[in-house]
Amino acid sequence: MTLEMKDISSVLIIGIAGGLAKITAGLLAKKYPHIKVTGVDSRPIKLEVQTENIRTVQMKYTRGNFERIFREKKFDAVLHLGRMSHADANPMGNLEKRLDLNVMGTKRIMDLALRFGVKKNIIMSTYHVYGALSDNPVFINEEAPLRASIKYPELRDVVEMDLFATNWMWKNQSDIETVVLRPCSIIGPNIRNSMCLYLISPYTPIGADFNPMFQFIHEYDMANIIIRSLEAVPTGIYNVAPNEVISIKEAKKVIGLPTIPVPLIFLEQTVKMLNFPFWKFPRYLLDYIKFACIIDSKSIQEYLGDDFFRFSTREALELLKLE
Amino acid sequence: MLEFLSEKLRVKPPKEELDRIFEHLRKIYPEGEDPWGLSLRKARKNMEMIWPFYKNYFKVRVFGKENVQDEPYLVVSNHSGQIAIDGMLICIAFCMEMESPRVLRPMVERFVTSLPFFGTWAAEGGAVLGDRQNCINLLEAKQSVLVFPEGVRGVAKNTADFYKLQKFTRGFFRMALQTGTKMLPIAVVGAEEFYPFVYHPRKLAKFLGLPALPLTPSLIPMPSPVDIYIGKPYDVPEGLTPESSDSEIDIHIKALESEVRRLTEEGLKKRRSFWANVNEEESE
Repeated sequence: MTLEMKDISSVLIIGIAGGLAKITAGLLAKKYPHIKVTGVDSRPIKLEVQTENIRTVQMKYTRGNFERIFREKKFDAVLHLGRMSHADANPMGNLEKRLDLNVMGTKRIMDLALRFGVKKNIIMSTYHVYGALSDNPVFINEEAPLRASIKYPELRDVVEMDLFATNWMWKNQSDIETVVLRPCSIIGPNIRNSMCLYLISPYTPIGADFNPMFQFIHEYDMANIIIRSLEAVPTGIYNVAPNEVISIKEAKKVIGLPTIPVPLIFLEQTVKMLNFPFWKFPRYLLDYIKFACIIDSKSIQEYLGDDFFRFSTREALELLKLE
Repeated sequence: MLEFLSEKLRVKPPKEELDRIFEHLRKIYPEGEDPWGLSLRKARKNMEMIWPFYKNYFKVRVFGKENVQDEPYLVVSNHSGQIAIDGMLICIAFCMEMESPRVLRPMVERFVTSLPFFGTWAAEGGAVLGDRQNCINLLEAKQSVLVFPEGVRGVAKNTADFYKLQKFTRGFFRMALQTGTKMLPIAVVGAEEFYPFVYHPRKLAKFLGLPALPLTPSLIPMPSPVDIYIGKPYDVPEGLTPESSDSEIDIHIKALESEVRRLTEEGLKKRRSFWANVNEEESE
């Protein structure tokens, strides 16, 4: 039984400095004016649109006053959109910090949510947990093993956070509803994840020898899905992707920026040998532009209804050009 | 290289026919691509390049076209010829020679998808990873899939074992049961002679971690004339489920094996001389 929106009066959004969190907060506050939204981030926060029912606080999740806002604000729902990105050119460099923030931080947030009577958690994971491997079937469903860290230990935090969240979710399902979302590549003018940076950067390498298929979701559609998850999606793990796919070469063509076609097998070896980050490009991402990781989003689409996606893949890519 | 040879063979696929076929396919794949990596644009280019080999080098004839209706099939074929040229020829036949053209999706060995250039070239032409879930997803999407239930044992045979059909594995049948897809038995005759003298050092292949290691004096496949025989569709038997026991399923697998064997034997009786020309004997 999912929560009624009229029963929700206070929502915490973790990671409010991020582009997706800001859009989600704005949409939520507009759609449900009775809900008081509190945004928290350890980074400086700058909201482009000020709304009366959105408040932001800059603080670390590990500090004592973080617990205090749970006590005072009496949140009904928590949207955990604050996973520290692994988009750095050298993600191995900050692995320890990411493990601490993503795994330990998530544990702390979820434990506090349970302690202070939060009714629903939405946790953002990523499709990267499945890994880009040559033997991936097309349409990986939610039951598939998470193989990302087999080849790339620097993605350990991404996988561990997801595993922790899903274990916690099942363990506490009788007390709190939890939805874990594994979206495909989110793109949009406010998003700065690794794939978005790759798409909007000129002269990036593109495989002469590989051309995997991709799923892209526009930031606005993703924010709407987060809100829909709060409204109607029951406890569980859900892949999030539109039905459309596009090859990486075609996607780059739509954006229209110049690329450098190179055989990725050589580029991979060069990066390994020189051991330096290439084109602000994390090493693991080379595999994501080599092998497809197409996810099956049938489960969540049951709750979205027809024509939920406002932007087609091509439109979402076209909009990146406007930056 | 392939393009150069293709030019030399001086056979272009009929443009109007190609236009008609790809217009039809465009309705099936409106984006021109699909999640498994197909690219209609590349598939057409491949078709134009390979057609001269199909028509003038391997002189392919197709029998039993009337058995192919406008519905998805799990196409079950014998496998021969050391490398999967037979698969490529079957796919061209299903795209170019049928009343209801389609991109037949051949299931390829896992290592193929990891190969640079070739893996992508194959995927853009329609090939898909030989994975059970992948195949089920394709069949559920109403795509026709080509499987070789003999596996590597079928393709990697010594000269003395040519045309000896190997035991079928059961996976394909369970996938057909799960998706309710009809099976279409196929026999390819003529592909074994692409490499007439072959020896397989199996222990060495195992040591090197390769699925097969055919040793043959010629690297280029010989121009052996190929006949493709299409049998009648085999309906999914009622009362069976993907969880049915091996013994219940084996009766049907044996029936399919027998049909492929019968088609092969029939084809061997009618086969052409090595230097046959398709113009002399039109396909039925």
